Amino acid sequence: MNTQLLPSSPGASSSGRPELSSATRPARGWFARQHRQRRLRTDLLTVIAWASVAAAIALWLADGGATNIASPASLFTAAGIVAGLAGMDLVLLMLLLAARIPFIDRTIGHDRALAFHGKLGKPSLYLLLAHGVLLAIGYGMAEGLDPVSESVNLWVEVPDMWLAFVSMALFIAVVVTSLVAVRRRFPYEFWYVVHLLTYAAVATSIPHQFSVGGLFAAGTWQRWYWVAICIYTGTALAYFRILEPVLATVRHQLTVARVETVAPGVVNIVMRGRKLDQLAETGGRFFIWRFLAPGMWWHPHPFSLSAEPVFNGPDGQGTLRVTVRSLGDGSAQLLRLSKGTKVALEGPYGLLSTAARTRNKVVMIGAGIGITPLRALLETTPFAPGGATVLLRGRTEQELYLGNEIFDLCQARGVRLFHLTGPRAHGQPTWLNEDSVRSGYSLTSYVPDIKDADVYVCGPAAWAANVMADAGKAGVPDDQIHHERFDW
Amino acid sequence: MKIRGTVAAALASAGILLVGWQTGTQVNGISTVASSTTATGTTGAAGTGSAGTGSSGTAGSSGSSSSTGSSSSSGSIGSSGSSAAGTYKGNTVQTRFGPVQVQITVASGKITDITALQLTNTDGKSIQISNRAAPLLRSKVLAAQSANVQTVSGATITSDAYLTSLQAAIDAANL
Amino acid sequence: MQRTSDPMPAATGTFVLKARTFECMGTVIGLTLPMGSPAEGQPGPDELVAATAVVERLFQDLDEIFSLYRPDSEASRLARGELKLPHASAPMREAYAEAHEWRLRTEGAFTPERPDGVLDLSGIIKGHAIREAGTSLLALGRRDWCLNAGGDVLVSGSPRPGSTEPWTAGVVDPADRRTLITGYALGGNGRHNAIATSGSAERGEHIWRAGNGAQDGGGFVQVTVAAADIVTADVLATAIVAGGAPMLNHAADNWDVAVLAIRADGSMLATPAFQPA
Repeated sequence: MNTQLLPSSPGASSSGRPELSSATRPARGWFARQHRQRRLRTDLLTVIAWASVAAAIALWLADGGATNIASPASLFTAAGIVAGLAGMDLVLLMLLLAARIPFIDRTIGHDRALAFHGKLGKPSLYLLLAHGVLLAIGYGMAEGLDPVSESVNLWVEVPDMWLAFVSMALFIAVVVTSLVAVRRRFPYEFWYVVHLLTYAAVATSIPHQFSVGGLFAAGTWQRWYWVAICIYTGTALAYFRILEPVLATVRHQLTVARVETVAPGVVNIVMRGRKLDQLAETGGRFFIWRFLAPGMWWHPHPFSLSAEPVFNGPDGQGTLRVTVRSLGDGSAQLLRLSKGTKVALEGPYGLLSTAARTRNKVVMIGAGIGITPLRALLETTPFAPGGATVLLRGRTEQELYLGNEIFDLCQARGVRLFHLTGPRAHGQPTWLNEDSVRSGYSLTSYVPDIKDADVYVCGPAAWAANVMADAGKAGVPDDQIHHERFDW
Repeated sequence: MKIRGTVAAALASAGILLVGWQTGTQVNGISTVASSTTATGTTGAAGTGSAGTGSSGTAGSSGSSSSTGSSSSSGSIGSSGSSAAGTYKGNTVQTRFGPVQVQITVASGKITDITALQLTNTDGKSIQISNRAAPLLRSKVLAAQSANVQTVSGATITSDAYLTSLQAAIDAANL
Repeated sequence: MQRTSDPMPAATGTFVLKARTFECMGTVIGLTLPMGSPAEGQPGPDELVAATAVVERLFQDLDEIFSLYRPDSEASRLARGELKLPHASAPMREAYAEAHEWRLRTEGAFTPERPDGVLDLSGIIKGHAIREAGTSLLALGRRDWCLNAGGDVLVSGSPRPGSTEPWTAGVVDPADRRTLITGYALGGNGRHNAIATSGSAERGEHIWRAGNGAQDGGGFVQVTVAAADIVTADVLATAIVAGGAPMLNHAADNWDVAVLAIRADGSMLATPAFQPA
């Protein structure tokens, strides 16, 4: 058996490694093809994103926009129009990134999609602000007005412009509260409500684009293109964020079967449903759950499956399981869920799955409640005995949730397992426990061949960042590191 | 991997921008020709449209307006001279109420028609709310002949110029 | 049943327009009244003479104060620096204040000062005089008249008293001053009683370029503005010649006016009221 349970010191197992790796590694990786395709899709998404911005500007160029620049006023106006086009395009990209489109999710994952979404927030706001300011200056110069009077003029006189001003105010509100919310760690619900305002902001910005924007005058092909991308974005949002979740909820008919205590404040929620065979291989990925009980139904919970779906009856009847730690507020109620509560679900999302694999070897590093998705992944993701290493981090053994199940899986599949328990080392940013740091251990001490492995990281954001930094230092390329944010 | 995607994206974007630019400058290329023709055409139309003859009807007796009929109108449109026949579109001028574009029709070297293709948005919304000035073609102005007016507005005329003015003719008729 | 006292015959009766002219402020001013038969209570030639005398008197008085052609006028003394504005007469200070307000409202396109800093109120004083004359005519009980001062026109009522028929003012073609480009209805039931035309060709000293008039294809050679009152029409016409298309848009946006602007190449811009229906 290659399963090792070492309190914190690695190294003793090195004797067992060579024979296994040489015996089982195929000439070409199992995941080479999958990896190649995912890279292609990533490139495709990059091209689409850039090209859409270029296309927005090209619309204006094709209309002879650049050739009409003849005075400072027209230069300001032109810059304002381009800023507006690019800004709106970025807003649409942001919406698409947040639309949970499966193609995007399978390619870059929910986390990175949302990270890009967040990164585009400020640039698109700046572009939209520039759009307003530059046009106020440009039109103002053309009419001999100062930008403020011109803005008032536009508001009062041009149809739909007051909506555009409202839209601008909403955009500012959304971005500012998002930035503040990031810093202050507002609850997820706050975030959610603020982001609903985005739809109002986009909706109020659309009328003036078509009624005031000369570029999109009736009868121009530019108008059709713009209509098309707006409708596509709207449809994608409506389908993937509303319709598909409703269909999934109806399809699977989930109800709470039982709630089991795993550790103090941590429970398994087991849900019974049907057609769960359609959710095979989703262990480790997350769903957004709504428990349809009084006072809870509106509260969305992003939880990962902590075990592969089990289906044992006709029509894919079976159970799903999530493991939940009470973080206070909404999730405290989860500990007292009663049997039979109906459950709505959206998902699966995220790349904490075999779909992200690029190498034959795999390393899983989890902390706290983040251990539980790894437990599900460990169940099914392919590797040869000896080709996998699991590192679990917790302050105490009790915090290694589902530790026993993981121990059993490791024994059965030939996985090297390390428990890293104890307080965090002081004085430096590390993901390791104090003992390991004092003994001079690093990531490569536990996994010498980590460069050639997929590394799944799941735990609190700051901790995970330290793990990933160490992995990078150990020479693991970015696209072999798979991270799921797990602190909300 | 990142490099490949970035390079592909940059190339695609550059290509799209180039196509846009190309389309845009072509639009403008046509317009330069067409708009210069439009200018000639308008001058021609100015002569034809003016109503010199009418003034002689009422004010003929005063004698001061004797030179009416012979205004510069005769100079037709020959100067446009291009042998091309067909319809040309002038360049679209973006206003904040929408595009305004003029189309001219040329037959055997003469401008036969000038029409405004888009006077602000076609839905007319902005026309209703805007008192803004739009291009007005000579051939489309509300006709007025001095026979039908009681007074004349013109750039301030001196006492000397008054004697040969239309207003003098009208005043003389009413003395 | 027909009533013999029906006033309709008077309203539908034939009227003859009668005009009187006089010279003042370097131009010719004409007053036109519709004349019916004296028996029907319409003004006769005597009334026209009397009304013209009132108007002429008013123009002469203002010309004495404001003319820069008369070396002894108050305006000339101000221009030479012999008189300071605070010590000037009330009409002068009022005219100056009004001109300055128009400078603000037109964002500098209209200005009562020449580039050399000399106060020049002639841009506003003709309109001012026409307005005063109109007020006097109304005070005399004249309801239907047309006053034309060198191409700036103020009307009241109708050329056919008792009807709503408007006066029609022709607009001169700057390319050929003996022909008209278009006509515009004044008075009657309409909102506009006044029309004024400014040009860059004649008497150009009234119009100082505000700097951006030349862009946009050479500026305007002639601008006609119709408005409810003559000073607005006159000042805005002047301002648009000086300020070009931006001022034209500003005027169209901020005043209830109709504008017809003509460029040197003959092309025209017109607000909806001047556009064909």
